[in-house]
Amino acid sequence: MAHEHEHDHDHPHAEISVSEMPGYYEVMETAIRELLIDKQLITGNDIRHQIEVLDSRTPALGAKVVARAWVDAAFRERLLADGRAACEELGISFYDDTRLIVLENTETVHNLIVCTLCSCYPRPVLGLPPDWYKLKPYRARAVSEPRIVLAEFGTIIPDDVEVRVSDSTAAVRYLVLPRRPEATDDYSEEQLAALVTRDAMIGVIPVTLGMEN
Amino acid sequence: MSGSEGLVSRLPNDIGGLTAGSIARVEHELEPWEKRCHALADVLDFKKLINTEEKRRGVEALGSDMIGQLAYYERWIVAFANIFFAKGILTPTELAEKMAEVEARHIAGR
Amino acid sequence: MPNHLPTQSRIPGIVPALNEWPSFSPGDRVRVATRSPIGHYRVPVYLRGMTGTVVSIIEPVMVDNETEGYGQNAGSRRHYYRVSFRLRTIWAAYSGAPADELRIEIFETWLERI
Repeated sequence: MAHEHEHDHDHPHAEISVSEMPGYYEVMETAIRELLIDKQLITGNDIRHQIEVLDSRTPALGAKVVARAWVDAAFRERLLADGRAACEELGISFYDDTRLIVLENTETVHNLIVCTLCSCYPRPVLGLPPDWYKLKPYRARAVSEPRIVLAEFGTIIPDDVEVRVSDSTAAVRYLVLPRRPEATDDYSEEQLAALVTRDAMIGVIPVTLGMEN
Repeated sequence: MSGSEGLVSRLPNDIGGLTAGSIARVEHELEPWEKRCHALADVLDFKKLINTEEKRRGVEALGSDMIGQLAYYERWIVAFANIFFAKGILTPTELAEKMAEVEARHIAGR
Repeated sequence: MPNHLPTQSRIPGIVPALNEWPSFSPGDRVRVATRSPIGHYRVPVYLRGMTGTVVSIIEPVMVDNETEGYGQNAGSRRHYYRVSFRLRTIWAAYSGAPADELRIEIFETWLERI
């Protein structure tokens, strides 16, 4: 079984400059893009626009969804019934054909998400996944020893709480709705959203006070 | 039993439950070409020129060696090239010539 | 594979599209097939032959992602199901809590009722 490369590039960012020769794969990407544009199968604007779409998707969007669910019980019900529709209510459009199931952490259930086969991730609402989510150690072990994986992130789940791992393999994506921390009754929705981290929405850590973004 | 059946019947990306080491908390800001590659994948899926599942299969088809040695977006772009060849949308010759042209452009521009 | 009669009420005379109605319902005990496809598959090896419980039906019907990987973008739509499995039944040496579960989407043609 092949081992995964643990890093994705060969040189540190500080050395990249405009006059640097593009690497082999960058040349390939440029060539393919230009050929497809020449053949009028795509346009340069298609690519430029999609880059803008991608840049606009960050964990702040997911945090907004979580904070709204914490303060608005009816929204929370709609979110749990149809994650994509509820996100679209907040103006978070889905640019692909994926569905979203939101997984609520409770007193009795702790959820975490993984894609063992590739890197499925709720990109429209969280942005792009971190490298560790896409590499072998997390993908291999999250489904077979989730409690040990959680402990590596500093998260200990008591034995009387069920750990529930969702492995994405098809068109459904997942977002964890973490538990609202204690002592936040007087927080505004914006203050609540500022507490919610990407890793909490993957399910590897809880939301706690003192972790404002 | 030749012993090679496992290589054929188990995809190289099917790693759920395998033994693996500790989780290094690595992440990196995408390089511009990687982001263009990701945008390309989204555009190709939207237009159904190469849907997302075809991309996944194309990456799997690279085989264990390439998967082990190529980085994430490097695997995507090579998979795209192979799929475009299979569909007759690009030929290997035209891609090779365009890649040489792109390189020459950079050398000339220095 | 068996095409079980769906439980929702129907207007007499209405003929559904092929495989339009789900074969399985929430609560059904199902077993993952033990076939070993080569080429592209989306049911991990760790699940083959495992028995689980249908949690929910994913709507609407969608293309089989295994043939979609070869360029089929339409046709042959069936349901995916969210199915739960106890982790201790998947992994012989599972060291977590007995109630710990895995949930995963599985295309209808991979499941059989038990």
